[in-house]
Amino acid sequence: MENAPVIELRGVSATRLGYEVLKDISFSLADGETSVFMGGAGSGKSSLLKTAAGVSIPDGGKVLFRGRDLAAMSRAEELEFHRLSGFVFQDAALWANQSLFDNLALPCRFHDPRLSKAEVERAVRRAAEIVGYRDELSSRPAELSSGERRLIGLARALVLDPELLFMDEPASYLDEESADRVYDIIAQLRARRRTIAVVSGSSDIAYRFADALGVLKEGRLLAFGPYAEAVAWSDPSLRSATGRLRARKKAAEGDAALIEAWAEALASAPDPEPRGSPPGPEPGGGAAGRAGDGSPGGGAGGRDGEAKDEEDA
Amino acid sequence: MLERIGRALRERLRDLFYGLGFFANLVKESILFFRRRQVGFRVLVMQILFTGYEALRISAVLAMAIGVAINLIGSSLLAGFGQGKLMYTLLIIVVTRELGPLLTAFIVTARSGTAIATELGGMVVAHEIEAYVAVGVNPISYLAAPRFLGVVVSMLVLTVYFNVFGLFGSFAVMQVLRPVGFQEYMRNLVEVLTVGDLLSGLAKSLIFGVIVSTVSIYRGFAVERASTEVPVAGIKAVGSSFVLIVLADAAVTAVQYLG
Repeated sequence: MENAPVIELRGVSATRLGYEVLKDISFSLADGETSVFMGGAGSGKSSLLKTAAGVSIPDGGKVLFRGRDLAAMSRAEELEFHRLSGFVFQDAALWANQSLFDNLALPCRFHDPRLSKAEVERAVRRAAEIVGYRDELSSRPAELSSGERRLIGLARALVLDPELLFMDEPASYLDEESADRVYDIIAQLRARRRTIAVVSGSSDIAYRFADALGVLKEGRLLAFGPYAEAVAWSDPSLRSATGRLRARKKAAEGDAALIEAWAEALASAPDPEPRGSPPGPEPGGGAAGRAGDGSPGGGAGGRDGEAKDEEDA
Repeated sequence: MLERIGRALRERLRDLFYGLGFFANLVKESILFFRRRQVGFRVLVMQILFTGYEALRISAVLAMAIGVAINLIGSSLLAGFGQGKLMYTLLIIVVTRELGPLLTAFIVTARSGTAIATELGGMVVAHEIEAYVAVGVNPISYLAAPRFLGVVVSMLVLTVYFNVFGLFGSFAVMQVLRPVGFQEYMRNLVEVLTVGDLLSGLAKSLIFGVIVSTVSIYRGFAVERASTEVPVAGIKAVGSSFVLIVLADAAVTAVQYLG
């Protein structure tokens, strides 16, 4: 089972409240890769992610974790699977009757009851720090803004340092700073070769991070393949996803050309502080600047420049 | 027409088997509760506090009022037949066997049954249950079993407590009408009290506790997606619990008197 995919879905179908939300879905998540699933509202993205994460039980087909069927796992294997995986909910899904500290501590206490109070506290503080939450952890989720709740939800998924992370719309409805932080975290997890499955209605995450891309429509996985190939998919049913990715790529190439022209202008101009800079990303880019779009130093929040350049080539 | 009846029947049967399976799972997880990883222990303590401890006051008031009423009715009625001594038998039958477990079950249903159903229903809607599953926590083991155990234990304790205060209320009113010494009062009660009376009361409270907790948990988990379903779950939990409690009460009484 060493070479088995981290997660594999074989002919999975699911029905919720009388509707078939997943229809005969098969794909696999490779070790250390980031797979992004795109699709419109009601396309079955969240159901797919929950089924792959063992949160929802499929009506048909199999979900395999490193070759082992989730449905046939012993309780010990099941616990091991959940210890190794984290799930970020679209609406945070924090436990309202518990403090933020307890929300983050529960996975630690549950999976390793021998941990001392100090060890649990250290793990909780570290997770909160990763997502940039520095306020009081004794508050209840209801006291936070929705963006803060989402960040704490992300921290809860990270508290056990999972090998496999499922993320349901991780950056939607977040302010720019928080979204950048989420992108930073995904970039760091990618750098540490964590396997990540993300569903998103926007092309932003796919463009920045996807190693593999899937497109869902009405519960069917229309296509799933490596990102480099996905951008070139020309099937009309996939256009809504791939068209946006191609547009981003073109825009990035345009940005790169502008920056190049600006750099040349800077080099040839006698004045060290030229006025009327051309439009485009600021040199040195933000923490989550599009890496690979030519903006210098924009690697923290996206696929690294080299890799993207190779792909673009 | 026949097809529709058949389909409805099939659905009913499926729901019944699902409910029985849920109950079996709940009982199994409750038995295994103390052997599981103990993050749910706090939930059990909180449930006992809420269902048992916080209901002490209302139980005491209700029990004393019932004790007083039975004494007032009994003493005037029985004295007319020259059967004043039967007052103690009446107290034991009404308070210990019937009203103690029954009214305690109604109190627990009204307070804790609705709370459990709406809380769990709210958690389903907010995806909190899914969050537990994602972490690896079995919701039946962590959320349902401690509530089940908490309600059953609280029911047993509250029933005993209700009996004590019911009999005390009767004693209190006697001090006004026909003063009797405490020792004599207790001796008269113990004389007519049988093991069957005690076991009947405790068996009923155990069964009622199982009914209230199972129905409320089931109704809470049955909420599917909308927050408007949450209060409906609370109402259904109360309605179903009341019906099942009354039926169970009749069944246990029938077994006791006819068996």
